[in-house]
Amino acid sequence: MKVTPLEAKRRVSTTANQSVFDARYWSNQMIAVAQRRDINGFMHIYDYFAPRLQRYLVGLGVNEALGQELVQEAMLRLWRRADLFDPTRASLSTWLFRIARNLYLDHVRSEPTWLPIQEGVAWMDEQEVCMSESMTESYTDQAKLKQAISELSPVQARLVRMSYFEAKSHSEIAQALGMPLGSVKSHLRRAFCKLQSSMRAMP
Amino acid sequence: MTPRHHLDEATIVGYAAGALPTALAVVAAAHLSICRKCRESLRDAEAIGGLLLAQQQAPAVPSTTAREAILAQLSTAQQDPSRKDYEPVRANDPDALPAPLHRYFGPTFSALRWRMVAPGVHRIRATQITNGNLMLLRIGPGKSVPMHSHQGNELTMVLRGSYVDALGHFSPGDVADLDCDITHQPITSPGLACICVAATDAPLRFDSWAARMVQPLIKL
Ligand SMILES: [Zn+2]
Repeated sequence: MKVTPLEAKRRVSTTANQSVFDARYWSNQMIAVAQRRDINGFMHIYDYFAPRLQRYLVGLGVNEALGQELVQEAMLRLWRRADLFDPTRASLSTWLFRIARNLYLDHVRSEPTWLPIQEGVAWMDEQEVCMSESMTESYTDQAKLKQAISELSPVQARLVRMSYFEAKSHSEIAQALGMPLGSVKSHLRRAFCKLQSSMRAMP
Repeated sequence: MTPRHHLDEATIVGYAAGALPTALAVVAAAHLSICRKCRESLRDAEAIGGLLLAQQQAPAVPSTTAREAILAQLSTAQQDPSRKDYEPVRANDPDALPAPLHRYFGPTFSALRWRMVAPGVHRIRATQITNGNLMLLRIGPGKSVPMHSHQGNELTMVLRGSYVDALGHFSPGDVADLDCDITHQPITSPGLACICVAATDAPLRFDSWAARMVQPLIKL
């Protein structure tokens, strides 16, 4: 399963379905980091994801300097906990999203209680993962999800982005857009159900 | 315990995005801790977050300084020992509260220190939460709780006993995930007091909500 960065670059440029390839590609990089403590693989992940993590955190209202600190912290966590990465359970981007979101809640919203709760839920999740059948986040799922995201209605896309990229609560979204709270929730519900069914649909 | 009433998908998205007010997140976590269906949805919602993260246009490559700084730390960073053991859920202990509530209310039902707010109605408020309101409610068996219309988000999970309202029968593990304009009149089932954990996201609304709920009971 060894993929050198050079080979990978070639394959990225030739593959038609890039998102399928990306998820598998990043998983392989991550496996190399976990198994061989591969510094090149790590830096490759770093170069791609660090600017995106930075952008995500700044979007949530984190200032640039703290954002940079948190990005370094997130990437160090990835390095230290690489052996916990399980590509059959989550893609690398999902894993990094969780790490960055938890750092944001912990350091920025100063909600010290949130993290242990979330870790508890994640722990329970791991206990059952081998028994479950439906939830592996496979590579093809990601391609379909990407497609489904691009097909959301404008209002659904906007509310999804406000949730994920601005961490706005339903009430805050309702207030910002002058939309009834019930409509905010029903738009988000429908958006999520569309995206979820795209991930779970049989090929 | 297999719940029949689940978290609203919008609530799961909010939880995954780190966008839920803390009080609501605690009740959501309590339900997630006993509901596999909602945990699977949460995983999907986090996968959406991951893809959105990866799809962003990158503004720039990392600076040389940042790259050098992280490289320098790699050689010294120890590998974390495998995940520290999370306190196992005492799923079979009937006295145990769901783990996400321990920090606010302690680990067991038997150690709860209730305060009466009306005949047959007891309450404990979590004091540490500034983002929303979180409380335990204990309502005597066979009581009709007066109609109330919700404002803002309210998330309630039954821990013991049960109640019935227009939305159905709510047993331990079930959540009522409600937003504005919902009017209902829960009636607790006979025999056992109904204990719920409830959260609202609007600090000012809580008192009027509690007052509306409790006032008619005082007349009983
Ligand atoms: Zn559920």
